[in-house]
Amino acid sequence: MSELQVALAHAVGLAVLVLLVGLFVRGRAGLCWSFPAYALAILVGNTLATFSPDRFYTPEAWVLKQGVYDILKMAVTLELAWRAFAAFPGAMRTARLTLLALLTVSTLVLGALTPSSTYGDLWAWEPGTVTATLWLLTATALLVVWYQVPVHAWPRAIMLGLAPYLLVFVVALGVLKHHGWFPRYDWASILDSAAYLALLLFWNRVVWRRDPAGAAAAAAGKAA
Amino acid sequence: MTLELLLSALGCGLLCYTLGRYNRAVVLQRWEFVLGAPEKQAIDSLRQRMAVDSALTRQALEAADRAREARPPDALTVLRVALSVLEEAGADRLTRLRAMGVYSRMVRAISPLPPPSATPFKDPSLRATASAAGLVHRVLVGTQERFRLWLLMLGLGVRIVLRGGRRSADAAGREPQQRRHWQDFAREVDDFEALDACHLTAFEALVASLAAVDRGGRLRLWERIVGDAG
Repeated sequence: MSELQVALAHAVGLAVLVLLVGLFVRGRAGLCWSFPAYALAILVGNTLATFSPDRFYTPEAWVLKQGVYDILKMAVTLELAWRAFAAFPGAMRTARLTLLALLTVSTLVLGALTPSSTYGDLWAWEPGTVTATLWLLTATALLVVWYQVPVHAWPRAIMLGLAPYLLVFVVALGVLKHHGWFPRYDWASILDSAAYLALLLFWNRVVWRRDPAGAAAAAAGKAA
Repeated sequence: MTLELLLSALGCGLLCYTLGRYNRAVVLQRWEFVLGAPEKQAIDSLRQRMAVDSALTRQALEAADRAREARPPDALTVLRVALSVLEEAGADRLTRLRAMGVYSRMVRAISPLPPPSATPFKDPSLRATASAAGLVHRVLVGTQERFRLWLLMLGLGVRIVLRGGRRSADAAGREPQQRRHWQDFAREVDDFEALDACHLTAFEALVASLAAVDRGGRLRLWERIVGDAG
């Protein structure tokens, strides 16, 4: 790990910690319970890789860590969709069908098109998995706008932030695949960490911001 | 890898575009309207607005027709006034049609509407549009899809009438003595009134659908929406 990588990793760790605190202090954690679990996993993964790089800053550890992150990101995406459409049965039915179709197609495509991998190059699955997650988010966003479903600023920020980051992540993986893992890993890692730090700063800004519009709407609704 | 990159870029672009433009305050206002549905008041207010637009256009058209023989320049000026009233009313109808499209997606079921028919219209393009919509209406199954087809037909109809009105007014400006152009304009006004009647029918169907949600259900949904927003 270079000094720049260590500095970025510490900054990411600190930003995740502040985000976790903000989620509970501002009462945003209940808007998507799988998100704090995801943030916690990031914090643990980041701390292990930073403080014990010999054991946890390796391709094998990366594959394991990424598998956990992928599962939690998928859980965040599905929970966001479920919470957004829970009060709207018509929209919920369409969302369920759309997300199920996306999950089925992406699973079939991943199974059929991705070359069989060994543990060492399991990361070849990653771009497909990330693309599937991104499209689940996109489908949710499109349905939210189509059905005019009211969503809080925080779930919206999760989706708006995660999508560009996932795109950067796919680009970083593309660099790794094109130029090989070992010579370029550090650069791809720096690109990924810098993008993730930007994402965390955006999320922190939304989480810590007070929401006067929402409070006013709530007050108006209760008065009505 | 290129495929994944392309798909990711496309998905990311779509998400950022749609969610970036998403305005929660506007959505909450729309839900407040849907769940508060001031049924009769909304319909009466639209009916009055249509009556005023129609009266203004007719008055201007009749004044222009009376002045046509004696003072053609004055008649043309008044005809332009009639056209501007029609254009303003058309813009109002198009805005309401867009809003009705949004609201139609927010209710679970829409009261059924009859198939669009060419009978009330005179303009050939408008008749053709209404006939085509009538055919498509029979193919569609859901009431929501049929309702949106009505909105599409009405939107196209307003555009056709406005285009026809502009064309007739221009032609009357070039040849003020030709009675045909004035008759064409009057025909477009008739068609606009027929479209207004259809517009009102669609609006009534939407308002009836909004009113179909029971009071308790509305309150629970509103509390849920505001609870999530708070």
